[in-house]
Amino acid sequence: MSKRILVVEDQLDNRQILRDLLTNADFEVIEAVDGEAGLAAAAAHRPDLILMDIQLPGLDGYEATRRLKADAALTAIPVIAITAYELKEAEDKARAAGCDGYMAKPISPRQLLAKVREYLSSPAPTR
Amino acid sequence: MSSPRHINRVHGELGEVSQAVNSTLELETVLATIVAQAVQLSTTDAGAIYVFNEESQEFELRATHGMDEAMIAGIQDQHIGIGETAIEQMAAQRCPVQIPDLLNEPSSQLLNVVIHAGYRALLILPLLRPGEIVGMLVVRRKQPGEFPKSTIDVLETFADQSVLAIQNARLFREIEEKGRELEVASKHKSQFLANMSHELRTPLNAILGYAELMLDNIYGEPSEKMRTVLERLQSNGRHLLGLINDVLDLSKIEAGQLTLSLDDYSLSDLVHGVVSAVKPLAAEKRLAFKAEVAPDLPTGRGDGRRLSQVLLNLVGNAIKFTDNGEVAIRASAANGAFTVAVCDTGPGIPLVDQAKIFEEFQQADSSITRKKGGTGLGLSIAKRIIEMHGGRIWVESELGKGSTFYFTLPVRVEAQAEQS
Repeated sequence: MSKRILVVEDQLDNRQILRDLLTNADFEVIEAVDGEAGLAAAAAHRPDLILMDIQLPGLDGYEATRRLKADAALTAIPVIAITAYELKEAEDKARAAGCDGYMAKPISPRQLLAKVREYLSSPAPTR
Repeated sequence: MSSPRHINRVHGELGEVSQAVNSTLELETVLATIVAQAVQLSTTDAGAIYVFNEESQEFELRATHGMDEAMIAGIQDQHIGIGETAIEQMAAQRCPVQIPDLLNEPSSQLLNVVIHAGYRALLILPLLRPGEIVGMLVVRRKQPGEFPKSTIDVLETFADQSVLAIQNARLFREIEEKGRELEVASKHKSQFLANMSHELRTPLNAILGYAELMLDNIYGEPSEKMRTVLERLQSNGRHLLGLINDVLDLSKIEAGQLTLSLDDYSLSDLVHGVVSAVKPLAAEKRLAFKAEVAPDLPTGRGDGRRLSQVLLNLVGNAIKFTDNGEVAIRASAANGAFTVAVCDTGPGIPLVDQAKIFEEFQQADSSITRKKGGTGLGLSIAKRIIEMHGGRIWVESELGKGSTFYFTLPVRVEAQAEQS
């Protein structure tokens, strides 16, 4: 069975790039456009991994991650934070919020895929 | 009045006054000291300093000595313009004016307040700056009678000190205001740059992301021709991203906002990280590429990420400008300092350009460099980063014989160096 990944990202292009990349690599992709929707989708679909954009409208990625990690049913799901800037402060803040991994934009799809596979214990089937 | 003892006293008190003028920028405190000393020294009963308000064209009471609350309130109720008889005379003639007996003067509301408080004589001195009146110093006596010339002379010195104090306070206020304005402007500028860089990078990230997906056959296999174009798209996009990042870095440095995150780092790991990042570029140009790292380098302390950026820039340049031969990195430590050298067998840099290339938007001016592109910001950013580590960066080069860029910095950097 293919692994399920929740992408929380407000920008259409970034969502599409992640969707195309991940579905092509045989992952099941669920999308949410903001923090609130991300929390709801995580509870409803129990993904194996969450890619969390940090700069989100309303509830930002830090807060959404904090709430996910506070929920006993969801706390085990690894969260990879994606921030707009490569700053040590951003990384520290993401880690403090409970994110398991961290990547700064610009993100190369290839690098992201490698990171996703690293976090999902059994590697997705290769093409 | 002018006995040696009295003169000594005058000197002592003037000394106190000028000390107050120089030591405190609180105008009220300074003026209060001046008026108190002026009253004592002129053996009068009360005094006041008024500051002229340019906007309202009125004199405002700023410091008093020996005046009771009722009198102060009475004077504050008055609008003291240039038109008051004695004041008018003082303002017109720009010299001290005295009224030996207030009861002989035509009555006015202001005079009534003074007379009511029990005063019979007063002396007004203008506070003058070239071309304008900034205020006035007034002393009052309960006994009628002329003020001797010696008293007027002494008080003129006090008037000069008051002018200085008022001027200092004005300048100080102006500087404070300008400082605040600059701070606000600089904050706006930094915020604007941060926003702009984010706004510029977002669509660019999408362009680079799609290009990579297409090159990875996610949307089907592109033709060879399409693949070549996609690669051009990708390399131009990456170049643009580099420019945006450089401009952002430099503006952060300019605004004093670039701070080092000091942490332990391994220079050896740092060098090898850079090597693996640029190896493909060197291989593409068929250049020999090697790194010689001295064994047992001590653990460094500094901003490893920023130092990688510096080394990446130097090595990237070396590869960019070298068409044949080799590029080498050498790293060593001696006497508590690391030295890193990046050598190439490129065209070399003319002596006249060797200092210039570390300045913003400057590249060695030759047709070769123009063909190679770049922002001309990389080396100036590198220089700032090395200097923030308390280090130094320089180049040694001879035309036709290649260039070696060196930087040296303390092994342990515990605090960011002040920026010049």
